[in-house]
This record gives sequence, structure tokens and C-alpha cells, in this order.
Amino acid sequence: MTEANRQTLIASVPDSFDTGPDWLRTLRARAAKTLRQQGLPSKRTEAWRFTPVRSLVNSEFAQNDGEGPSLVSAVPAGVTVRGLTEVLQSQPELLRGRLDFGGAPTHFAALNTAMFRDGLWIDVPAGTIVEAPIEISHVGPSSSEPRVAYPRVLVTAGEGAELTLIETYAGGRAGQLSNSVVEAELGRNAKMSHVRVHESAGLQIGRVDVRQDADSAYRSTVVTLGGALLRFDVRCLLQGKGAECQLDGAYLTDGDDHVDHHTLVEHEAPECRSAQTYRGIVSGKSTAVFDGIVIVHRDAQKTEAHQENRNLLLSDTATIHTKPHLEIDADDVICSHGATVGALDQDQLFYLRARGVPEDFALAMLTYAFVESIVDRVSHEPTRSRMREALLSRIPYGDEIREVT
Amino acid sequence: MLKIQDLHVEVDGKPILKGINLDIEAGQVHAIMGPNGSGKSTLAYVLAGREGYEVTKGSVLYKGQDLMDMTPELRAAEGVFLGFQYPVAIPGVSNIYFLKAALNALRKHRGEEPLDAIDFMKLSKKKAALVQLPDELTKRSVNDGFSGGEKKRNEIYQMAMLEPSLAVLDETDSGLDIDALKVVAQGVNGLRGPDRAMLVITHYQRLLDYIVPDVVHVLINGQIVRTGDKNLAKRLEKEGYSEVRDAAQL
Ligand SMILES: Nc1ncnc2c1ncn2[C@@H]1O[C@H](COP(=O)(O)OP(=O)(O)OP(=O)(O)O)[C@@H](O)[C@H]1O
Ligand SMILES: [Mg+2]
Repeated sequence: MTEANRQTLIASVPDSFDTGPDWLRTLRARAAKTLRQQGLPSKRTEAWRFTPVRSLVNSEFAQNDGEGPSLVSAVPAGVTVRGLTEVLQSQPELLRGRLDFGGAPTHFAALNTAMFRDGLWIDVPAGTIVEAPIEISHVGPSSSEPRVAYPRVLVTAGEGAELTLIETYAGGRAGQLSNSVVEAELGRNAKMSHVRVHESAGLQIGRVDVRQDADSAYRSTVVTLGGALLRFDVRCLLQGKGAECQLDGAYLTDGDDHVDHHTLVEHEAPECRSAQTYRGIVSGKSTAVFDGIVIVHRDAQKTEAHQENRNLLLSDTATIHTKPHLEIDADDVICSHGATVGALDQDQLFYLRARGVPEDFALAMLTYAFVESIVDRVSHEPTRSRMREALLSRIPYGDEIREVT
Repeated sequence: MLKIQDLHVEVDGKPILKGINLDIEAGQVHAIMGPNGSGKSTLAYVLAGREGYEVTKGSVLYKGQDLMDMTPELRAAEGVFLGFQYPVAIPGVSNIYFLKAALNALRKHRGEEPLDAIDFMKLSKKKAALVQLPDELTKRSVNDGFSGGEKKRNEIYQMAMLEPSLAVLDETDSGLDIDALKVVAQGVNGLRGPDRAMLVITHYQRLLDYIVPDVVHVLINGQIVRTGDKNLAKRLEKEGYSEVRDAAQL
């Protein structure tokens, strides 16, 4: 790799953009302008209060060349997977209006829009039902100097289309940054199951934006296995009547990890349902953050929205910030939210030990049971067992637990 | 098998057991009866090694070893079993798999090879049939969504799987209908033998018609105030505790 130019993230954003279709240049210029005006977030930015991005904002990175997300599964019949650069060169009109559909991005998402070089477009046309998962892998930069990658993925699912997307964020050395944006557009009645596994040692900032038409269903399961600094945002815009989303997450943190999950569900249309369940096991000196917002707009009558975050705090030196909240402007709604931070149940622990299970093993069993319930909701069996394996790899007595489950 | 001498136990600084003496020989079944709050479950928990119980005086010897020095899992490995009065539900931990881990931990302690999946399943089927615990329940999460009676049957099923030397059964009969009671009693009697002993805590003499005890004790206010044979239970059933209370000047 050639010796690349290192700059702070904000300094690397150009003043003008002269390649690509005009609409993309406009998007990039808009993002760059936002960044010049607002800068990158700091502790004083409400939504970034608990995310320690200062050193990252002040560090210098070189942009990583040509290491976009790669497709690691076969492309199922009926589905097209194309490189974004290639489409932008040959048929840019196909993508017009489909990037940044959620409005002008800010902060790191704006940085991605201004800077991304390549990515993938996964298109599942109307009526195409795909059983086999489509899997893409993001391998973080592996250079010895600090590099930043801007993975970008667009998923379009037409009316009645169904797909499963698995994304893995792996590799990435300490100090390397991946700042990703994934956008998904679900047509009427479309269904998408989206599995995301974070197991990179690098710095990871990621955002998923989902726009949902009537009666569509989006189900996200994220498993985060630590991270020096990980910040992951999911936003679902429920724009068509009867759409539903289910956002689930499991995170295990240890050492000096900082893991930060944010969700935002906007109920814009009536009769939509959303449910969020995030569970974390927080050990060592790590910090875990959950911040979930549900906004029910005035016209979104007959909304049903649930939000739950439960944490197991396994050490005195670990920290958890949890903040589920609801903003409701409609009156005919069913909503619930709750958060707990606790230790393992001593009665359960004693029961297992009194039957002969050694203490450490019993602790591990209860810990695993706590997060496994999240992975259990993944309906595709091979995917589910892979995610179980990922969890078991990080839990003490993983082999023994596999043996008895 | 079990020798308890002048055992005093406090919970949160409050004396609960106030000088218990109990001697259970191998092959015997002892019953403990007594009013609510007298300390029966406390005694059971202390024997199983639950935290939060402070032994301030006295000793407990099990097969000649100091039981109080052992972790709960070591006691289990040495053959102590507690059937809980209120078995806890453990969502996400499957009944049968946890039991396999427990049984294999006990076998390891005894220097035996772990049971493989097939032998284990065979054994489980046999024992579940013994206490008429439906197969489906053995596979569910531990006690999760079990009815009161199902939980108690599950305790006996687990006991039958683990084949303890000393079984302490804390009100295993409470909440059981008469047919379930017979089934549970059968399970318990099936385990009786010259090398085993049992301590059966109950409020009802009815259970003792099926599990006939060698010795019956009455525990009141943290002390054993009377000891007799099975007829003592019958008398208590008729007359209540007032007569023993009076005699013990409590
Ligand atoms: N954690 C605790 N803190 C304070 N007191 C306790 C605690 N646990 C038990 N006790 C008290 O100890 C006494 C004995 O309780 P225990 O559960 O042993 O009674 P028991 O004989 O099993 O009663 P029951 O027949 O109702 O099951 C009761 O007065 C109870 O309130
Ligand atoms: Mg009791």
C-alpha cells in the first residue's frame, strides 16, 4: 500500500466534489457543508454524550483504499448484488433518491456520505423470496498506520420481497476506524431479517437506516462481542400503515471496551408495531450504553411500541448507561418501556450449585442464558447457530455449555 | 450419616435455629414437622449450603466430614440433595441439559466417566417415567412455567437422576393432589436403601402414610422439642402443636 496522506477526519473532507452523478455531488456537498458547520460530535452533543469520540475526532487517519464490504455468500437467484461505484458510473439514475433517503445526515453519517468510495447495492426485486442468507463481510483496515474505511451498503427490497442479510464486522486492528452506513428500503409487504455481528478489534461507528412501506417487516439482531469503541445506531422509519420492526441486540463487554447502541424508531403511519429488546453483559472496566427512542407521530394511531433493555453488571468497575424513552403525540397507542441493571439471580445460582454444578460453570450458564434468548429469535437455523457460536466463543465454559445445550 | 450437634444459626443477625441436635443413620427416614416459621427450611438450606446463614455454634458432620466447610456443589457431589420448598424458575437453562451437567459433575467427583448423550437420555426417560413427569417438561427451561405440582415432581425426578445418599425434602408434598402425592412417594421410596438416608419436612401426616418414617421430630421456634415414632405425627395431626408447645413450655 502506498504511503497515504494522514489527516484528521474533518480536514479530510474536500471543499468540492467533481466526480459522480450530479445528484451524488449535491449529496456529498450537503454533507460536507453540514460537517463544516457542525463539526463532529463532542461530549456536549446530546446524542453523543456517553460516546468518547474526542480522541478519534482529533486523530489523523489515512483513507483506506479499495477495501469495501465484500460479498461472501452466493448471490441467490433473482437477487442482484452490484458494486456502488460501478452502478454510479454506468447507471447512476437507478440510485437517484435512494441514498440518504432519511434526510440530511449529520456527524459520522455525513462523513460517510461525503467520503465513501465504494460499497454494495443489494437489490431484491418485487415478489422475490430468498431463503438463503446473503452475507457480506466488512474486514476493517489492517494497515499498521491508522486508516479509516467508509463502508456503504444499500438494500432495496421490492413489494413482497423477502431476504436475510448477514453482516459481519471483523478484523480491524486497534486504532483503525470503520465508519459504515447501511440503508435499507422495504417496499409494501417486504420482509428483511438483518443480522449483524460486531467482533472487530478496531474502532467502529455504524449506522443502519431503514425506510419501511406498508405492512413491511424489518427484524434486526445485532450481536456485539466487545469493541474498543463501538457506536451503533439503528433507525427505522415506519412510513406505511401496518409496518413493523423488531430490533434485538446482545452485547458482551469486558476489559476497557466501550460499546454504545442507539435505536430510533419513528412511527409515522398508523397501526405499526415496534419492539426492541437489548440485553447486555457488562464486565471488567467496560462501559455499555443503550439509548433507545421511540417517537409516535400524531397520525400514528393504533401504534404498538415496546422497548426493553436489560443488563447484567458483572463487575464493580463496569458502567452502564441506559435510557429507553418514548415521545408520544398520538392518543390511541400501546407503549411500554423499561430498563434494568442487575446482578445474576442468587437463588438461581444456588439452585444450580445445590444440584452439583460448579459455581463458575453455573455463572456461565446463567450468563449465557441471559443473552442467548436474543439470538433464539433469529429464525434461520444455520444463522442462529452461528450466532450462538459467536456468543459461546466469548463466554467462559463455552465448550461445556455447547456440550450441554 | 448425618450428625447435627447443638446447631445455632442466625440470619441477618437474627437467631433462627437455637441448638438443633439430630442424628440420622444410614437407611433411616426422619420426618420434621413444625409450625410455619419454626426454622424447617432454614435447617434444609443450611444443610445444602445456601449463603446468608451464619452458623454461630455447633457442628454438622456428614459421613464424618464437616459439612459446613463445603461449597454447595461439593455437598451435592458428596451426595447431599435438597428438594426445594419453592423451586426457582431459570428461563433459558434447559432442565435436562443442566441436569446432565450436574450429573456429570457428580460422576467426575466420584472418578467416573461422564454419561454420553444416549445413556443419559435413556436414564432420563426411565426416571421421568417413574415420577410421571412428561417428557416435554424435562426439556423445558428449569421450572419455567411449571405448575406447583409439576415443580415438585421435577424435584423428585432430579433426585432420582442424581441418586443422593442424603435427601432433604422440604415440603415436597405441598401443593400435590393425592395421585401426585402417591407418585412422589413412590419416587422417594424407590430411593430408600441401606446406604441412604432422608430428612422429610412436611406439614401433613398424610405424606407419612406413604413415606413411613423411622423417626419424627417436632421443630418449634428453632428447637427440636419432641422426638418420637410415626405415631407422633398422627397425634400432631389430631391435636395440633399446642400440647407439645405446653409440654416444652414455649
Ligand atoms: N433472610 C431472612 N431474614 C430474616 N428472617 C428470615 C430470613 N429468612 C428466614 N427468616 C425467618 O426465619 C424464620 C424461619 O423461617 P423458615 O423458612 O425456616 O420457616 P419454616 O419452618 O420453613 O416455615 P414454613 O412452614 O412456613 O415453610 C421465619 O421467622 C422467617 O421469617
Ligand atoms: Mg419452609
